[in-house]
Amino acid sequence: MKLQNKINRRFLFLLLVVFSLAGVVLYFVLGYVVDVNLDEVLRNRADKIIRTLKIYPEAIDSSISLDQSIDIYKIPPTESYRIYSDTIVFDSSDNEFIDCRKVTFTTSAGSTYYKICITLSRLETEDMVQLIFYFMVGLFLLIILTLFILNRLLSSSLWHPFFNTLFQLKIFRIEQKEPVRFEETSVLEFQQLNNAVAGLFQKAQTDFKNLKEFTENASHEIQTPLAIIRSKTESLLTGENLTSGQHQQLQVVYKAATRLSKLNEALLLLSKIENQQFAEETEVDLSALIEERLDFIEELIELKKVKVTRRFEAPVRININLYLAEILVNNLLGNALKHNIEGGIINIQSEKNQIVFSNSGNPLTIEPNKLFHRFVKQGAGSESTGLGLAIVAEICKNYRIGIGYEYRDKLHCIKLTFNKRENKKTI
Amino acid sequence: MKILIVEDEIDLQETISSFLQEEGHVCEACNTLDSGLEKLEIYEYDCLLVDIGLPDGSGFNLVSELKRLHPETGIIIISARNSIDDKIEGFDLGADDYLSKPFHLTELSLRIKSLMRRLRFSGKKEIEVGKLRILPDSHEVFALDQPVILTKKEFDLLIFFTSNLHRVLTKESIAEHLWGDFADTSDSFDFVYSQIKNLRHKLLEKTGVDYFKNVYGSGYAFNTNDEK
Repeated sequence: MKLQNKINRRFLFLLLVVFSLAGVVLYFVLGYVVDVNLDEVLRNRADKIIRTLKIYPEAIDSSISLDQSIDIYKIPPTESYRIYSDTIVFDSSDNEFIDCRKVTFTTSAGSTYYKICITLSRLETEDMVQLIFYFMVGLFLLIILTLFILNRLLSSSLWHPFFNTLFQLKIFRIEQKEPVRFEETSVLEFQQLNNAVAGLFQKAQTDFKNLKEFTENASHEIQTPLAIIRSKTESLLTGENLTSGQHQQLQVVYKAATRLSKLNEALLLLSKIENQQFAEETEVDLSALIEERLDFIEELIELKKVKVTRRFEAPVRININLYLAEILVNNLLGNALKHNIEGGIINIQSEKNQIVFSNSGNPLTIEPNKLFHRFVKQGAGSESTGLGLAIVAEICKNYRIGIGYEYRDKLHCIKLTFNKRENKKTI
Repeated sequence: MKILIVEDEIDLQETISSFLQEEGHVCEACNTLDSGLEKLEIYEYDCLLVDIGLPDGSGFNLVSELKRLHPETGIIIISARNSIDDKIEGFDLGADDYLSKPFHLTELSLRIKSLMRRLRFSGKKEIEVGKLRILPDSHEVFALDQPVILTKKEFDLLIFFTSNLHRVLTKESIAEHLWGDFADTSDSFDFVYSQIKNLRHKLLEKTGVDYFKNVYGSGYAFNTNDEK
């Protein structure tokens, strides 16, 4: 729900309560004022009747009722009193009950005592209350209408800088080099928001740049000494004057250095993917790429006597960085081959939006849900870095490719699911 | 062949330099961009090996400068920055090859030799080793004028070995050369062994000479026995 709507809803609810309360209070206040006025009128009439009776007592006799609403009775002598009260009178002409105010009092003229009732209709008061009610409702509707129009105007003009900022946030890419520009605004809150967001953007961009530089420098710093270790041991190994014991030890050093350098490369690659440093994308036909890589390792497959079957029902084309696509395919194929058994099988199947790599192999000794974690290896002494599938998972995450593992019919299956619409790089 | 090595890491520079000298090349080395530019101004080289990350600037400057001065000189970039952007920029500027650190020296030797074959149109485009005649462009091999049928990988292997005659090639470097990323497949050394066995067998059959020698179990060397 829009913020403005939310505010309006609360505002209108509160307004309704206030209006109702005000209406009730107004009703009572007005009723009271009207009663006071009516009582005043009644008192005046009563006084007038008393005066008349005192001067012309016979006037009452001649005309018992001065007015329709005045009743005069002769009564035995009694204490004098005057009572104001509400009453309902049946009006035979309109055939309805009428709310009235009435005064009842006693008076005497000479030795004759009278009880007199004067009633006055309150019809005008009712009309007034009705008027108040309609006025309140009308005002309320008018306020709603005003709010509606106001919102329209506000969202198109006042909120514009906010939506502009929101748009900038949406399209912001951390690897972009140019700073983000916001629209000028005179609203203090939006100025603050823009400043905060701009600061955040700049910090993110600087951090990203630093991280990228660090990654590359670290790579350089580590790879160079490693290159020296490797080439020195290599030239020692290929030299002639070594005892076989020395040779074996040197071989271990050489292997360790090679592994370390591979590990370093893989870790750097992972952090580069995480930092989304592979921005360039092209449309890649994965099935064609798989064919090509299979050709490349033909001998490796043959030597392990692995039977490869592939069934590509439809070419799978996705937008991806070409280098990452190659790594994705390399790692998946390498994985399927590495953990295969002699004389095993590899199946690669593609359907509309998915590719399944399945291969025979010993059952997993690790938990399947940890398969895509870093440094998780099948068998502790394994030569592999334990990063291959972590890299695959990272690439998939980056391009919103679904990835899942299951063990079915004694085959390890890794399924990639592509969602055409969502195959966009995360921002 | 005259080669200039511009590499700021002195140890690595010396290792490369002594390795290439053993191959019979004439090597000069320097460790800064300025001294590299100076040498390029004064002398002429057949090949330049240049690192990208130099203390006083980027090796890319050297590449573009050399392309201006002597466009016919071969350029190989050696860099620890294994990034696609760098590769693309290097090739755009006119580099002929890109080798990311750490590399095997034997791989470097192979790259230099194949680069030289590509650049020297006037020179021999064939490799003659012992009783073998290899045509790298058409992927053909003749033993005593008889064609030897090799698979693509066997041919690659033969070129790799003949570019590093009498040198021991470690199993790791062979596996990496043939299969790149797939080299760490657990039993890739068995694959190396079987590839070499096949190649050895085919060459033995045609020439009657066993060129391959297993050294200690760490690698293999290709020897032209007819000298002995």
